[in-house]
Amino acid sequence: MEIHPRPLLSVEGLTVEIAGANVVDGISFSVAPGKVMALVGESGCGKSLTCYAMLGLLPPAARRSGGHIRLDDRDLTALSQRDMRKTRGKDISIIFQEPSASLDPLTTVGAQIAAAYRTHHNVPRAEAHARARRMLADVGIPDPDRRFHQYPFELSGGMCQRIMISIALICSPRVLVADEPTTALDVTIQAQILDLMKKLVAERGTSIVIITHDMGVVADIADDVAVMYAGRIAEIAPVQTLFEKPQHPYTALLLASIPKLSDAPKADLATIEGRVPTPNEFGAGCRFADRCPLATEKCRAEQPPLFDRGGGHRSACWHIDRMAEIREVAA
Amino acid sequence: MLNYTVQRLIQALVAIFGVLTIVFVIMHLSGDPTLLLVPQDASAEMIAELRHQLGFDRPIWVQYIDYLHGLTQLDFGMSVVQRVPALDIVASRLPYTIQLAAGALMVAIGIGIPSGIIMATMRGSAIERILAAIVVTGQSVPTFLSAILLIFIFGVTLRWLPTSGASELRAMIMPSIALGALSMSTFARMSRIAIIDELGKDYVRAGLARGLSLGQTVFRHVLRNASIPVITIAALEIGNLLAGAVIIETVFAWPGIGQLAIQSIQSRDFLVVQVIVLLISFVYVLTSVLADLVYVVVDPRIRLVR
Repeated sequence: MEIHPRPLLSVEGLTVEIAGANVVDGISFSVAPGKVMALVGESGCGKSLTCYAMLGLLPPAARRSGGHIRLDDRDLTALSQRDMRKTRGKDISIIFQEPSASLDPLTTVGAQIAAAYRTHHNVPRAEAHARARRMLADVGIPDPDRRFHQYPFELSGGMCQRIMISIALICSPRVLVADEPTTALDVTIQAQILDLMKKLVAERGTSIVIITHDMGVVADIADDVAVMYAGRIAEIAPVQTLFEKPQHPYTALLLASIPKLSDAPKADLATIEGRVPTPNEFGAGCRFADRCPLATEKCRAEQPPLFDRGGGHRSACWHIDRMAEIREVAA
Repeated sequence: MLNYTVQRLIQALVAIFGVLTIVFVIMHLSGDPTLLLVPQDASAEMIAELRHQLGFDRPIWVQYIDYLHGLTQLDFGMSVVQRVPALDIVASRLPYTIQLAAGALMVAIGIGIPSGIIMATMRGSAIERILAAIVVTGQSVPTFLSAILLIFIFGVTLRWLPTSGASELRAMIMPSIALGALSMSTFARMSRIAIIDELGKDYVRAGLARGLSLGQTVFRHVLRNASIPVITIAALEIGNLLAGAVIIETVFAWPGIGQLAIQSIQSRDFLVVQVIVLLISFVYVLTSVLADLVYVVVDPRIRLVR
């Protein structure tokens, strides 16, 4: 059996509340040094809020009402605002979905990277600029000396995401959170950005938490996957295990909905019937029950815990003995 | 960028030409100007004589060409009351109005913009509510009323400040406040909206995510981005201040062009009025050109793209 190294980042029972409803409800997962954890789920499942909660950047309407975030031995949720600011961008960084909008339109990209370094290091401007230039080269931007003096509107979306990655990594953080980093980009650029992220993980040993709804991205980059549904983790497993042997009906249906080349041309795309319940529709039972082909009275009455399926694989379902039925439904 | 500048200057020239033409047309639409100049009991011959003397009996387009030609020579005609060039009369009063407008602009920007910043960044706080009340007051109390209230409180009751005239520097305090109050509210509201708008943008969240405080993010990134709409307002407000000076200067007996405008209207000295109207129009055009050029400095997207 694989020996799990001590986690670098662990999220323990994280709960986020908006207007009295737990939109993130007791999420736990951990990431080992240099590993990539993917959080997967539909829009509104709470994956982005989980990320923002990790950086202490929840929007004003949302509030962390429980749980802890540990980075090494430090509990980030116990830090003062001031200490959390010193941690953000230095020990834990984030890149966003819309790279162009995440840069100040009126400042050159080089100056923005250098400023990110100087936020956490008291060094002369010239030194920060030199580091920023090296960083531009590291993230694969051709002609960094020219790009340094350009403004965000002069760069493509893919270039802007490389700039965001430079800003996020210039202080050599331990953890990089990536909130749908490739969603707004062209498919070819997506692959380049993912390759870049993999390279940086390998070189620097940075751990990544990546949020996506794209199973292709997951397969490409992740070591472990947590599938989220309506604010809870439905299933969490090493990536290969999850793809080969999903142990939750939602995961199985999600995987079945990915179009395959072997599908008949113009065949209807597989979908999951129904919709995600809104927070005030959450009942006592499993939140997927209304859409689940395996659901029984027990599912509606009682929330299944995350059962350990062995090998780091856990899933929240009462009926995995009937998973074969899902494969029939999906086929 | 050169293109952009040239384009803006051409637009300004067209606007100025339009203003000159409109002023000319209005002057002649309001009837035969000769009738304004003669005593009520003048005979028909006297009127015809004067009309011929002043050239008002020529075809309108000849008068128009003549008017434009005169303007190119900086000849705005003679004041019919004082018999000196209208331009000289306005020029002698202009420094007072510039002084007053500068004071009002200091009040407007110096109080308005910081208030806008505070209202945008400290939403829901007590200080925001206090400032909001001041802004609404400045915006809704008519200038002539606030001017009279100021005179009553600080001039008559407390006797801290002179009630009228321009004999000493502190005499400009009250007129500056009265004139700047409306602009101050406009600056406060516009900068508040611009900043709130910017605060919702992704780059602000990204700034916080790299470890900046909200204050640092505002001062390093937000203010510059929010300044673009505020510059537009500033250009308009400078023109508005000159127009507002007409009322304020009358209330405070301030010897600027606003007071002159009222006096000239009353004495039917229409060429002086014409100079003042043209001057205020030029200021509007000039400040909007200046604003366009300031955008170029602030926003690289204008500088580099066009």
